[in-house]
Amino acid sequence: MDAEALETEAQSAIASATTPGELDAARVRYLGRGSALKQALRGVRDREAGQVLNTVRSRLERALAERRTALDRSVLERSLAEERLDISLPGHEFRRGRLHPITQIRREVEEIFLGMGYEVVDGREVETVHYIFDQLNMGPGHVTRSPLHTFYLDDGVLLRTETSASQIRVMETRKPPVYMVSLGRVYRRDTPEPKRYPSFHQVEGLAVDRGITLADLKGTLQLLLRRLFGDQRAVRIRTSFFPFTEPSVEADVECFICGGAGCRVCEQEGWIEVGGAGLVDENVLRNVGYDPEEVSGFAFGWGLERIFMLRHGLPDIRLLWQNDLRLLEQF
Amino acid sequence: MRVPLSWLREYVEVDLPLQSLVERLTISTAMVQRVLHRGVVDTNGNLGLYRVGHVVEAGKHPNADRLQLCLVDVGEAEHRQIVCGAWNFGAGATVAVALPGAVLPGGQRLERAKLRGETSDGMILSERELELGPDDGGILVLAEAAAPGTPLGEVLPLGDEVIELETTPNRPDLLSVYGVAREVATLLDRELAPPPGQDPEPAGTGPVDVRVEDLQACPRYLGRTFEGVRVGPSPPWLTARLLGAGMRPISNVVDVTNYVMLALGSPLHAFDRTKLAGGCIVVRRAVGGEEIATLDGALRRLDARDLVIADAERAVGIAGLMGGLETEVGSETTEVLLEAASFEPIGILRTSERLGLRSEASNRWEKGVDPLAAGQAARLATELLARLAGARWAGHVDVLGDLPGRPVVRFRPPRADELIGLETPPDEQRRLLERLGFDVQDDWQVTVPTWRARDVAREVDLVEEVARLRLDEVPYTLPARRAMFGRLTTEQELRRTCEDVLVGCGFFEAYTPSLVGTDERSDALRLPEPQSAEQAVLRTRILPALAEAARHNLAVGNTQIALFELARVYLPSGEQLPEERWHLAGITEGGFARAKGAVEALHSALQLAARFERAERAPFHPGKTAAFGAGIVGELAPGVLDGAWGGFELDLATLLAGVPERIEYEDVITYPALRQDLAFVVDEAVAAGDLVEAARQAGGPDVRRLRVFDVYRGEQIPVGRKSVALALELQSPERTLSDDDAARVRSTIEVALRERFGAELRA
Repeated sequence: MDAEALETEAQSAIASATTPGELDAARVRYLGRGSALKQALRGVRDREAGQVLNTVRSRLERALAERRTALDRSVLERSLAEERLDISLPGHEFRRGRLHPITQIRREVEEIFLGMGYEVVDGREVETVHYIFDQLNMGPGHVTRSPLHTFYLDDGVLLRTETSASQIRVMETRKPPVYMVSLGRVYRRDTPEPKRYPSFHQVEGLAVDRGITLADLKGTLQLLLRRLFGDQRAVRIRTSFFPFTEPSVEADVECFICGGAGCRVCEQEGWIEVGGAGLVDENVLRNVGYDPEEVSGFAFGWGLERIFMLRHGLPDIRLLWQNDLRLLEQF
Repeated sequence: MRVPLSWLREYVEVDLPLQSLVERLTISTAMVQRVLHRGVVDTNGNLGLYRVGHVVEAGKHPNADRLQLCLVDVGEAEHRQIVCGAWNFGAGATVAVALPGAVLPGGQRLERAKLRGETSDGMILSERELELGPDDGGILVLAEAAAPGTPLGEVLPLGDEVIELETTPNRPDLLSVYGVAREVATLLDRELAPPPGQDPEPAGTGPVDVRVEDLQACPRYLGRTFEGVRVGPSPPWLTARLLGAGMRPISNVVDVTNYVMLALGSPLHAFDRTKLAGGCIVVRRAVGGEEIATLDGALRRLDARDLVIADAERAVGIAGLMGGLETEVGSETTEVLLEAASFEPIGILRTSERLGLRSEASNRWEKGVDPLAAGQAARLATELLARLAGARWAGHVDVLGDLPGRPVVRFRPPRADELIGLETPPDEQRRLLERLGFDVQDDWQVTVPTWRARDVAREVDLVEEVARLRLDEVPYTLPARRAMFGRLTTEQELRRTCEDVLVGCGFFEAYTPSLVGTDERSDALRLPEPQSAEQAVLRTRILPALAEAARHNLAVGNTQIALFELARVYLPSGEQLPEERWHLAGITEGGFARAKGAVEALHSALQLAARFERAERAPFHPGKTAAFGAGIVGELAPGVLDGAWGGFELDLATLLAGVPERIEYEDVITYPALRQDLAFVVDEAVAAGDLVEAARQAGGPDVRRLRVFDVYRGEQIPVGRKSVALALELQSPERTLSDDDAARVRSTIEVALRERFGAELRA
């Protein structure tokens, strides 16, 4: 047989195969069991002829493999070219819920203070008059002691009106330094209306250590306000009055709607009142057995709803208690 | 407190822009809520359009019976023709005129106009139009002295800026213009004028019959009598100040008492002396059931805790709150008894709360009025009554008990620096305190002024004075700490994990009230005086409130509703305080499997194994409820909500108690696992969970995983039985398991399940 002619014919058949089927047919015909080449190889007698035929065979096998790769690639390319998804269709839905807006603020505040080395303390919600009022230097005439403002269970037990009682419980059991925040639900006898609800949430912060100053309080409040409302916001600390702090201050943040120029949100003030703070009153320190000559401290107590409503423009606090998915999905 | 700027300027020089003053006051004294304007605005030459006018001619408008047509000289070459609706003046009157172009206090611009065919080239003004008084009976007739064309601002207080301060309860001294002036003088380092008021020559030294029965509640009662009083309207300067400060002018005598209260902070009261039975004053406790008609027209019933001002027969005023109607000063009054006193705050506050009655006076008394202010207040009132009402001061008495003393405080200036975090030289601290009225001795013994005696009694209170005056300069620092350690407790972290797992499962976090209408526990804590019946009981379970929230969501058309809440419940403990525990509850559309899936997800996230047992409990379906270690999960009974709903509630501490502290590594990598599926046919009554449990026990330690993946009923399965398909995974940490090992385990399981449940292995 003419090995050269055979190879030429086989190479041409391989090259012209355009489908895997045609290529397979070429393989069977030229390299299969009954092929002329296989038969010739079986009949080979001398070494030289065998070498020639084997060379032809391996060249053909290589050609086959190459052609197969090429065909596979073109099949792939064709399918890549043809298969198109409408990528604008939605993906598979993994429905996620959301944390309540107040939990989100709560965690945000917790993280800010954890980062500064504070602890997070869980306080009680049902407390004694002793911890809510007496230990916090709130005199017998203080207005929130009145049952008109407060939910009493009996003469000595009430739903906490602020989270401050947790400060007292921590200080009573611990020597300074104390750096803590306590966040949670508080209760006041208010009729539900856009800015008031009989229960809401507060963050209480307390730092007691040697050498704590009013400047430290200003710095801490500025940091907190900037984290919550934006790093460039101006912060204003002004004088105020609370029975449990002396000196007492109130913290305002520059209005983030108008940037201080005056608008409806800040009532043309340019400033938004966020909450009260001050140096812990000496009497409060003494009440828990601390020596005000040795240590000093600052404290603040702010409403989380207020922070959220201001920051996100929510007009009505009652919406936060409706648990309507349409609202919860937004945040 | 509203402070008209012109009034403030009478006591202290204010020579900086108003906005700067507002900022200084807000930082250091009291928040300025806003700056109001009273009267005519002083912009774009507006004041120049207000003139004194002489009415040259006045007569009926030719086309209107009720209008006057006037020719008015306003100092120009030509007289102006002005149409006017008032008739309380005529030719020769001196009046206030606004010219066309003038912006009126209400904000509208005056234009030249034609009224019934006649040109009106300006406007003759009334008090009300100038915001000088409520009287709209006619136009304002001025004293004749002013020449036509004189700028009206030289004759009348046309306009004023008013600073509205939000004062704190510890600073009753700021409820007076003079008190605010003292602050301004300190803040700006300006001279403070001496307090206003000088006694005129007394016209007599008649006795004033005043008896104080309770010198504790009323440590001072200063009574003065006046004769020849002519009650009438107050002059414009006074009404302008009252209106600016937010009070309504009434008559010169009443206005004087209000003016003095606003100026000095000490409330006064004027009685018509002739209406006082016996012409005397008795300060005493009310007799139980005693009634008095107060100036606001209400009849008020008093009890023995209320302090009253009485005459010989009856109460004529509620001390510190409001005078009585019957002894009110009226137009016919000629004799006045003036009261300047000192009342103890707490009694006034209690009576005010009891009666639901508040007044400008009570607002001051309940915070503590300077006990020494009564004398100065009486002097200023006497001076003004003489000047404005022609009153002759005829008698005087000053009944004095023990007035509170002035606290003396030892002060260390370095202590202030230490607490404030800002150095203030001792001399500067001394100067600031002295400007505020504190007496500072060389050895730093500081005597507190009477008007601050209730607020300042300790060194730290003085520190606050220095701090607030320098507050704006205090730097922003953070505590310098030697050690820092901030982290959540394990429990707090796990609470977050629970929240996050449920959010990942598609649950939205809800906040529902702790106070509910009813609770399943009859001994749940109940408020004795709830705000409403719906918020009366401290809940012991959360799920009912979540069902309520789900109902709201259904009602508004929301879909795929799933809610959870992590909150306190309050369990009766038998102690003073209830036991507060965290509960975690969830509710979801879609029935039992969804709720149980959420519970399983929680367990899995916390590395806990969950075991479920059949249970029955409201509000769940009795056949579709399971108890697990920490709580209960089930399908809500039909009728609770529309559709199929699942719910769960668990006690968090119980759940978290089993959370492993650390996880020990188990070799699941070195040797491969063998997987086999086994299907058993059992009676319907057999629980798949029991099958799994028994198979696991029978299979021994190499059973790494075993779970139900299908339950089949139908063809090839006899009626009343079901096929439960289990996926079995065998793995040993020590060796590769062979097919023989698998066959052995499988046959052990088969035998065990056959014996126990009559289970047949399907081919």
